[in-house]
Amino acid sequence: MHLPGRKNRDSTAFAGRGMTEPALVRWFLIASALAFLALFLFVPLAAVFSQALEKGWDAYIEAIREPDALTAIKLTVVTAAIAVPLNLVFGVSAAWAIAKFKFRGKSFLITLIDLPFSVSPVISGLIYVLLFGLQGWLGPWLQEHNVKIIFAVPGIVLATIFVTFPFVARELIPLMEAQGKDEEEAATVLGASGLQTFFRVTLPNVRWGIIYGVILCNARAMGEFGAVSVVSGHIRGSTNTVPLHVEILYNEYNYAAAFAVASLLALLALVTLAVKSVAEWKMRKEA
Amino acid sequence: MSIDIRDVNKKFGTFEALRNVSLTVPSGELVALLGPSGSGKTTLLRIIAGLESPDGGKIHFSGEDATNLHVRERQVGFVFQHYALFRHLTVFDNVAFGLNVKPRKERPAKGAIREKVLELLRLVQLEQLADRYPSQLSGGQRQRVALARALAVEPKVLLLDEPFGALDAKVRLELRRWLRRLHDEIHVTSVFVTHDQEEALEVADRIVVMNEGRVEQMGTPEEVYDNPASPFVYNFLGNVNLFHGRIDGGEARIDNISIEVPDFGSGDNIPAVAYVRPYDIEIYRSRRNHEDIESVVRHIQGAGAVARLELERLDTRELIDAELTRERYRELALRVGEAVYIRPRNLRVFAGGDYQI
Repeated sequence: MHLPGRKNRDSTAFAGRGMTEPALVRWFLIASALAFLALFLFVPLAAVFSQALEKGWDAYIEAIREPDALTAIKLTVVTAAIAVPLNLVFGVSAAWAIAKFKFRGKSFLITLIDLPFSVSPVISGLIYVLLFGLQGWLGPWLQEHNVKIIFAVPGIVLATIFVTFPFVARELIPLMEAQGKDEEEAATVLGASGLQTFFRVTLPNVRWGIIYGVILCNARAMGEFGAVSVVSGHIRGSTNTVPLHVEILYNEYNYAAAFAVASLLALLALVTLAVKSVAEWKMRKEA
Repeated sequence: MSIDIRDVNKKFGTFEALRNVSLTVPSGELVALLGPSGSGKTTLLRIIAGLESPDGGKIHFSGEDATNLHVRERQVGFVFQHYALFRHLTVFDNVAFGLNVKPRKERPAKGAIREKVLELLRLVQLEQLADRYPSQLSGGQRQRVALARALAVEPKVLLLDEPFGALDAKVRLELRRWLRRLHDEIHVTSVFVTHDQEEALEVADRIVVMNEGRVEQMGTPEEVYDNPASPFVYNFLGNVNLFHGRIDGGEARIDNISIEVPDFGSGDNIPAVAYVRPYDIEIYRSRRNHEDIESVVRHIQGAGAVARLELERLDTRELIDAELTRERYRELALRVGEAVYIRPRNLRVFAGGDYQI
């Protein structure tokens, strides 16, 4: 039988199905993605917490409250508290200049901003040692004036600033470029000064992008290992950050304590993910 | 406030956006800058606003040199093509922006700002939407917010860049009539940029036709439409048919039609083109004299106030557009494929070859 009505129905059903893959393929893709996620994300995360709590809550709390651990936590927080605000200012200024103005050497500046991403963190750290270390270019002068940078807190802060420099700028440049200059021009025509335009128009328009950049920058600042490891000197209770402290504990076969401190970084990662998702959602909503 | 533009030039790299443009916008008038894309109209508007600076020439506001005045000090209102509303502010705060950023000495009190903003929102019929964000508005509503925002600072000049370009046809028609009425109420000197000749003809007091960075013609809509100064203006304002011929001693011969052209009295054998509007093509079923051109009806579009016909000349195979009134169309009762005789009237002759947009 060839009823015209039926033929129509069939053809629309076919058109609908033509847009997606067969169910088997879809399930296979989803299942493999989930399996991958479980294997490489959930299992390690669970392992960190189960290892951390292996010897019970008391041992867990003790590992974190131990003086060296507390010093490491404090140093990490101080480092992030210096590096993140500075990179926020650098990043916003760089993104503003690149996205809203035309000038010579713009692409060179973009390359410079990307540099920390393309250089291995260990090399970044070594550059500071070469510059400020005892055998470095500025070493003798620094020693004369009794300034300690390498194997001290300033070196850790400098290395962290360098490694986390691109996060805010990289996040803001495409966002600001997409938004164009129209709103800024509108503000200027309405009589707003440069600063008023920046604080009342440019900045509010990228506020979720800034939060996104800051949270990623912070996560990296607190979690950075390579560059900091080179400049820190691993002085226990003095120049150890949380990641370095974890490594020391681990190398001493103190697994429970290592994982207890590591679980703090894992928690930071979870919070970062959550805030990042909210920021992403807000940005999409306002785009 | 009147605007005087004198010999303004502007280059972007090697591209000449404006070449020696001079024009005057009389106080209180609504003027359209009309031209195809790339004709320099938006650049000119941005130079008037101070968003671009000219490479040469002067801008005068009410006789005073404003060329080097900063955008902030020009007291212009600018409505951007894509509205450029502040996306993070409500409609109310968008309109209040210009007042809120004034230096403290000049800034009105909070209550006064509120009153002024609500008054403007009433003017653009958006009072109920004061608390909405731009993303929650339709295109036409956004356009009206942009206008209210520009008017809030009581500009001496209102500049609009393709104000209706991004709207759909029906809203565009409503909004441009509304803009005309609004201008009749508030009488602020206004300049708007458009590439839509219909829009310019309907809304403006005066039209400036621009092409390739130059002003081709200036005048009232009637002047510009009825007496195009150049083939470009003829082409740009409405459909035209081209007829080719030659000029000899002050007389043009276009096909078998002779026309007196005293302007070209001196030359001989000059190539010429005659422009004829589609409604100036007469159609007959039988030949009346040697001037008629034999043609075939190729296509008929009979719906609407006028019937549009596409005809093909039998001699040159060129296509000709014609428009007939409903009465004449019914009287002739034409069908596709029938042979007819056409006769152009009101030919406008220009020396030189073809002119293509």
